[in-house]
Amino acid sequence: MSRELLPVATAARTRAVLLDLIRPHRALALGGFAVMVVATSIGLLTQPLLGSIVDLVDAGESAAAITAPVLALVAVAVTQGGAMTAGLALVSRLGETVLARLRERFVDRAMRLPLEQVERAGSGDLTARVTGDVSLIAEAVRVALPEMARSGLAIVLTLGALAILDWRFLLAALISVPVQWHTARWYVRHAGPLYARQRVAGGAQQQQLLDTIGGAKTVRAFRLEADHTARVAERSNTAVDLTMRGVNLVLRFYSRLHVAEYAGLAAVLVAGFFMVRSGAASIGTATAAALYFHSLFAPVNTALVLIDDAQSAGAALARLVGVIDLPEPAALDRPSSARIEVSGLGHSYDEGRPVLHDVDLTIDRGERVALVGASGAGKTTLAKLIAGIHRPSAGTIAVPGEVGMVTQDVHVFAGPLADDLRLARPDATDADLREALTRVDALTWAETLPEGLATVVGEGGHRLTATQIQQLALARLILADPPVAVLDEATAEAGSAGARVLEKAIETTVEGRTALIVAHRLTQAAATDRVVVMDGGRIVESGPHDGLRSSGGRYASLWEAWSGVRPTSENPLE
Amino acid sequence: MRAVLWRAISGQRRDVVVGAVLGAAHQAGEVMVPVLIGVVIDQGVAGGDLPALARWLVVLAVVYVALSFSYRFGARAGERAAERAGHALRMELVERVLDARGGAEEGRLPGALTNTATEDAKRVGAVNMSVMLAVSALTGIVVAAVVLLNISVPLGLVVLAGTPLLLFLGHLLSKPLEKASEDQQDRAAHASGVAADLIKGLRVLKGIGAETAAVARYRVTSGDSLAATLRAARAEALQTGLVVALTGVFIAVVALVGGRLAASGEITLGELVSAVGLALFLIGPLEVFAWVNAQFAMGRASAARIAEVLAAPHSVAAGTEQPSLPVRGSLRLSAVSHDTLKGVDLEVAPGEVLGVAAVDPADAVSLLSCLGRTADPASGTVELDGVALADLDPAALRAVVLVADHDADLFEGTLRENVGGAHPEAMAAAGADEVADELPGGVDGHVSERGQSLSGGQRQRVALARALAADRAVLVVHDPTTAVDAVTEARIASRLRDVRRDRTTILVTTSPALLAVADRVVLLDGGRITDAAPHADLVTRNATYRTAVLA
Ligand SMILES: Nc1ncnc2c1ncn2[C@@H]1O[C@H](COP(=O)(O)OP(=O)(O)OP(=O)(O)O)[C@@H](O)[C@H]1O
Ligand SMILES: [Mg+2]
Repeated sequence: MSRELLPVATAARTRAVLLDLIRPHRALALGGFAVMVVATSIGLLTQPLLGSIVDLVDAGESAAAITAPVLALVAVAVTQGGAMTAGLALVSRLGETVLARLRERFVDRAMRLPLEQVERAGSGDLTARVTGDVSLIAEAVRVALPEMARSGLAIVLTLGALAILDWRFLLAALISVPVQWHTARWYVRHAGPLYARQRVAGGAQQQQLLDTIGGAKTVRAFRLEADHTARVAERSNTAVDLTMRGVNLVLRFYSRLHVAEYAGLAAVLVAGFFMVRSGAASIGTATAAALYFHSLFAPVNTALVLIDDAQSAGAALARLVGVIDLPEPAALDRPSSARIEVSGLGHSYDEGRPVLHDVDLTIDRGERVALVGASGAGKTTLAKLIAGIHRPSAGTIAVPGEVGMVTQDVHVFAGPLADDLRLARPDATDADLREALTRVDALTWAETLPEGLATVVGEGGHRLTATQIQQLALARLILADPPVAVLDEATAEAGSAGARVLEKAIETTVEGRTALIVAHRLTQAAATDRVVVMDGGRIVESGPHDGLRSSGGRYASLWEAWSGVRPTSENPLE
Repeated sequence: MRAVLWRAISGQRRDVVVGAVLGAAHQAGEVMVPVLIGVVIDQGVAGGDLPALARWLVVLAVVYVALSFSYRFGARAGERAAERAGHALRMELVERVLDARGGAEEGRLPGALTNTATEDAKRVGAVNMSVMLAVSALTGIVVAAVVLLNISVPLGLVVLAGTPLLLFLGHLLSKPLEKASEDQQDRAAHASGVAADLIKGLRVLKGIGAETAAVARYRVTSGDSLAATLRAARAEALQTGLVVALTGVFIAVVALVGGRLAASGEITLGELVSAVGLALFLIGPLEVFAWVNAQFAMGRASAARIAEVLAAPHSVAAGTEQPSLPVRGSLRLSAVSHDTLKGVDLEVAPGEVLGVAAVDPADAVSLLSCLGRTADPASGTVELDGVALADLDPAALRAVVLVADHDADLFEGTLRENVGGAHPEAMAAAGADEVADELPGGVDGHVSERGQSLSGGQRQRVALARALAADRAVLVVHDPTTAVDAVTEARIASRLRDVRRDRTTILVTTSPALLAVADRVVLLDGGRITDAAPHADLVTRNATYRTAVLA
């Protein structure tokens, strides 16, 4: 099965979505920008003040005369510092708030993606985006954004200041621009694809780490440590190699910037030379011009290098927006009807490999149907299609309202037990939670947990037994309270002792609901209204337990294997 | 934490030194630029001397070439050091997590641990680059001071005294930032852990239509993270603003002293320009220092998190003894009490197939963790061939004893990779050969992460095949057939003895099909072994057993 990664947005779309997110914070954006302009402008008074000291000395003024410009320098420093604090705080606030909204929208969309799409991409793809990419952007917002604001303004305003000194200085300074422009374009051309590859490599590394760390127990038990360490090392090395390639690119970029710097500086000095000689400028002005240009180095380099951060943040951003921008999955178009009606249903996970063929099935309101069959026959697939978790490749399903499902894969959500339950019904009161737990016979153990319902469970928390985990899953279903319940082997993980507890819990859970129960424990099947047998993706038998048992078909042989080792009074052990 | 930081740096000694030396050369070059600007103004512009102007511009060009190349190669070394140190820490973390003695995952989400292995490792690695930048910035400051001292001793002294003072203040200012940044990083890690956890449970969420609730839950975490980030950002803005103000004041002082010296004719106009230019230039290295301080603050916070994982207490102590070879595979539990177990005595003969039926699944779990030594029993001992497990090296123990959990993870890769090679006998015994038949590509067919592209029963059979293929002297399997149908289960049970012949096998299960093939079954009830006999005998004579197993 080949990976089909989730999409990445185009640059234009990324920009559009970003602007959309910024729009509600327009006031904040403008305010932050204005304060930064003030801070930077004030800072630009430094060079003329220094120039004026040069002129005062050149004019042979006394030492006392320089006190005034020095005091002005102090005032400039203090005001600039204050304004800078305010400006940076505002700019970060904008960036961080927008980022928070962005990641929230991302998770919102991610949660609603069709499951098959997530599974085809590997959930690591999603996880990497919401962890690695988000933190990369966060870093850019935290560091690069304020820097960018500072440097960008410093450049524009310094060039303006140069022009105010004399337009010819500005002209001389601009000599470096073509080189910088060309360099920046050269860089962007090469860096773009490289960063995209870096993000993919980062995703692969993340996936491997999650796999290895999440499966650490298994890795240890099977002594796969060396293999997994090697896998992580390989992914990590690839990521390191790509980063170093990026570094080399950046450094070559820097070298070219040095050329631009030299050209501009020499031009400003030569211009100063001729202007002083012709009397068009004082030495102080020439000094101020040279100092201005020199002070441009830092912000210009910062800004151009920030292209770098902007590029990688852009790549990460495009991966977030790619998911955010996925079309809202069309609401499952399922005709409602008084009963479950499945007709002509077909499904394939991978193109060209159908696992369900032309399935027809009707389940009456309030009916309890057991779905049995060999492992791999397609029971889970059919159950998930009916529950609406997956979309069928062919055929239609009509349902009488909401369908809730307890999946074959279990998961306990990390955090307090009560929070886990409230995922099913966010407004549930503590009494509701207790009531649901009581109905699945779980309240007793839940209350004896170290901190009762507030005990942190799930990964990294208190470990629950398989039975307890299933009871939780059933309690969630009770809280969600759908008219139709689909249970996929809710007893499988628990062993038979747990299974009996769970069978009782299932009884109460499906009370008052239409139910489809996938069961390998055939005692459970025997207790339902009807048994549907699947094989090779088809329904091969259907009818009440007693009828099928004596029909000599597939169910009969399943039942024989099951009851053969479980003698009862009517079926003694031979 | 210090040790982690130190190792990250000393491990990359060569690159850090090369980076620092070349970085220093680069900074020295950068210092020369304002000096040369002063010279050009003094000798060229002020005097109207064209040849002098040309001469000094050539010198400036030479300085540029030198500073450009030293930067290029210096920064490359620094970045390489950063990346390699990050990689080394990542590997160290993975090795700690996978350490046979366990314990590192206790109380940590895999998502959070992954974050530590990626982001934190990177941040600590980046400290190398900071060291390099700090050294070169310091060089810049020193060279500038020397040049200034040459121009005028008092001026040089002002810079020499003022710079360390500024540095010290910068350091003081970064202290509160450290706490805020730590908090911010913790919460960011938590938020991404929550997101990863929700995505992992996506199937479950979709089953109960809880997507909206999950999103709401993430919003809250994300909001907490935002609040912490904003606190850190405000602290950082304040720090930057203060550094900017202090630096400006410092330059004013330099201008005051220099201006007075020039006015009294003690230094030339060009020297004043150089001095002022140098003072302006000094903002750069000083800001680098402020940045490096912040970087170190974050690096320290990250290093603390890494150190905490690395130093996480082991779940079990490391014994030193190796199992004596050849392993016979006998086990003896004497008076083992652990969690729910209350004084279990049990002997398992070499090559025996023993069934363990636990009335309470919790007893089974406790027993498994003692046998697999993911925990040491609170009291009593477990012995393998007469040697206490606690005295054995856990890694060596796992080479002999395999406890196959029923929720064991499969990994992304081919079926063959998951089983650990071509093991037709094990595959057939576990019924995984049929899985291969159904998979496009057969044994080389692809299995996606955690085996999610397989059906529940297929996953379980592949996991059992893997356990059988590992071919350990002692194999403990826990409920290996709960997700397979009765016919398949019967087939698996019928082949199990044969594939495990002459090796000790413990089946912890309540499946009668499996228990029926065991030589002997012990009944675990209320934390104690209450009966032991072949399955058929227990079925006839023990009512508790009958309900536990047959119902
Ligand atoms: N996500 C998936 N991607 C690709 N193939 C899948 C996926 N899930 C299941 N399959 C395949 O579809 C077929 C039917 O699987 P399904 O899970 O429906 O079986 P099942 O009857 O529930 O089996 P079991 O009793 O073992 O749970 C199997 O061959 C399985 O390998
Ligand atoms: Mg299934």
